[in-house]
Amino acid sequence: MERWVRCAASVDRGVDGIGRAVGWLTLLMVLVGSYNAIMRYSGRFFGWNLASNAYIELQWYLFSLVFLLGAAYTARQNRHVRVDVLYGRLSTKGRAWVDMLGTLLLMLPFSIFALVVSWPSVRNSWIVREASPDEGGLPRYPIKAMILVAFFLLVLQGLSSLTRTIAVLRSDGDEPPEPGDGLPEEEGSVDGALGMTGPSAEGAGGDPGRGI
Amino acid sequence: MQEWLAPAMFVFAFALIFTGYPVAFSLGGTALIFSFLGVAMGFFDWALLFAFPERVFGVMSNFVLLAVPFFIFMGTMLEKAKLADDLLTTIGKLFGPLRGGLGLAVVFVGALLAAATGVVGASVVAMGLISLPVMQRYGYSTALSTGTICAAGTLGQIIPPSVVLVVLADQLGISVGDLFVGSLIPGLSLAGMYAVFVAGVAVLNPDAAPALPASERDIPWKTLLRQVLLVLVPPLLLILVVLGSIFAGVATPTEAGALGATGALLLAAIHRRLTMKALRATMDETAKLTSMVVFLLIGSTAFALVFRGLNGDLWIEELLTGLPGGKVGLLVVANLAIFILGFFIDFFEIAFIIIPLLAPAARILGIDMVWFGVMIGLNLQTSFLTPPFGFSLFYLRGVAPKEISTAQIYKGVLPFIGIQLIALLLIMLFPEMVTGLLD
Repeated sequence: MERWVRCAASVDRGVDGIGRAVGWLTLLMVLVGSYNAIMRYSGRFFGWNLASNAYIELQWYLFSLVFLLGAAYTARQNRHVRVDVLYGRLSTKGRAWVDMLGTLLLMLPFSIFALVVSWPSVRNSWIVREASPDEGGLPRYPIKAMILVAFFLLVLQGLSSLTRTIAVLRSDGDEPPEPGDGLPEEEGSVDGALGMTGPSAEGAGGDPGRGI
Repeated sequence: MQEWLAPAMFVFAFALIFTGYPVAFSLGGTALIFSFLGVAMGFFDWALLFAFPERVFGVMSNFVLLAVPFFIFMGTMLEKAKLADDLLTTIGKLFGPLRGGLGLAVVFVGALLAAATGVVGASVVAMGLISLPVMQRYGYSTALSTGTICAAGTLGQIIPPSVVLVVLADQLGISVGDLFVGSLIPGLSLAGMYAVFVAGVAVLNPDAAPALPASERDIPWKTLLRQVLLVLVPPLLLILVVLGSIFAGVATPTEAGALGATGALLLAAIHRRLTMKALRATMDETAKLTSMVVFLLIGSTAFALVFRGLNGDLWIEELLTGLPGGKVGLLVVANLAIFILGFFIDFFEIAFIIIPLLAPAARILGIDMVWFGVMIGLNLQTSFLTPPFGFSLFYLRGVAPKEISTAQIYKGVLPFIGIQLIALLLIMLFPEMVTGLLD
């Protein structure tokens, strides 16, 4: 078990690293989006046209990267939205049961299914080196391949979370086990994987983003 | 047997969602399980599932949804720049010496934050931390102050620009700009009705909303006015540029969102609050919220694909268009369904699961879709206030002192829920409130 938990911890670290990188992409996206907007005005009012399909496509490529690569990170940070009417009242072990069964029967099969059905179309796109239908656009095949990367990361993250929930279920009592070596600090431990779901637990500090 | 599968799928998905497992994967998993069942029973075609990657690609290249991360970024950046804190402190000092003034300040700042940030949690938390203690200290009734704070915080949902409205427009297949325009008057009227209520309480029951002693305003008039201008002008300019460019048709909501996010960065920089920590927190929050929203959409896309393959869409359509009373029947059912679901689940789930089922029926019955969207938006906003699972209530509970009981908070929002229902009734009776500004 210990070894599995250590594997899970390294998956988590990798996913966290990707998450940090994805953060910077949001900033880049804002800058590219603003550039595109300004260029379209200047094109309209002054006749300069510096807007190009490449930049316009770059904007939604970045958007795609943010949520495709960010999905596993969001799962790791336990931020995929839940309905915690009942879940919020369960004990740590109760939650671990929900999470273990959910990951095993829903998330992992769904992610694998997504990989299977996406494979042929991504493969085709890659073989023909699919390009943008618009002049000066960006190649399509790398961004389509990101669909596979996204669901592959989700499979890894699912396995990691499965390991953690099993560790919780096997531990004695209702307390999370001692964080083994290599486990990331506080949030990373079992609590982070299962812990709070909505604003219920720590209202203020918890997650002010909910309810945008 | 066949006709049972789609309804069963619907019920099954909701049962799974209520276990508390993340909704996106519950929906995706349901899709998978029922496609297996469908194939096993011989009336579902595997080939249909290969449309899934095309749907995902459609989400990736969706220009409307691109506005979602921009508005999240803009709102979170302004939140980290402590815009709410500045506004509440100065506007509170300005209005405080009036009877009911603090309550009005909360409503006013709530409406302003709604247009600038639209982040419900952040607004409620800021008001709970800054305005609530002052209101308590000077003898405001607990119910009035907590109710006003919770309600004013939810304005971000309905006053444009708002992420909810972007998502709703996408799901209803209407223009985001139109939905923004349509929701402007209802949103502002709602803020106005809150203000009238607070003022009414202050007049009828002065003890519930007393004026602050002049000593609370510790700075001279001139300094205060200067502070008010300094703190008010930059966000007002930002709102004006973002909404103005959308309403004038100069910029698409996506472009305006990108410029708004850049504007938020500038505003934070002007206030010398653009720290690395704030920037990182903003980027992190934007990445996580965007992933959460889009994956919810991807999960419901998989769900819808299979649900349609099992003819579930026809089932729902027949059910909804065949209601007694036609249009009125549909509106009653739609509002009741959303209102009741709103007690338990989040608006994103409602937007992605329920709205696509309601929209075709509404269109067939000839309902104005922009008006329909605003009505749904208003109804969803109410769900933030309804106990026991209203988000606004949770956030306030999290920051309110222990002496304030949860029951008092619930009691406080009751009149505001009443105001919501009146507003909902008003836009049903006077659709011009929505359509008036549209050509």
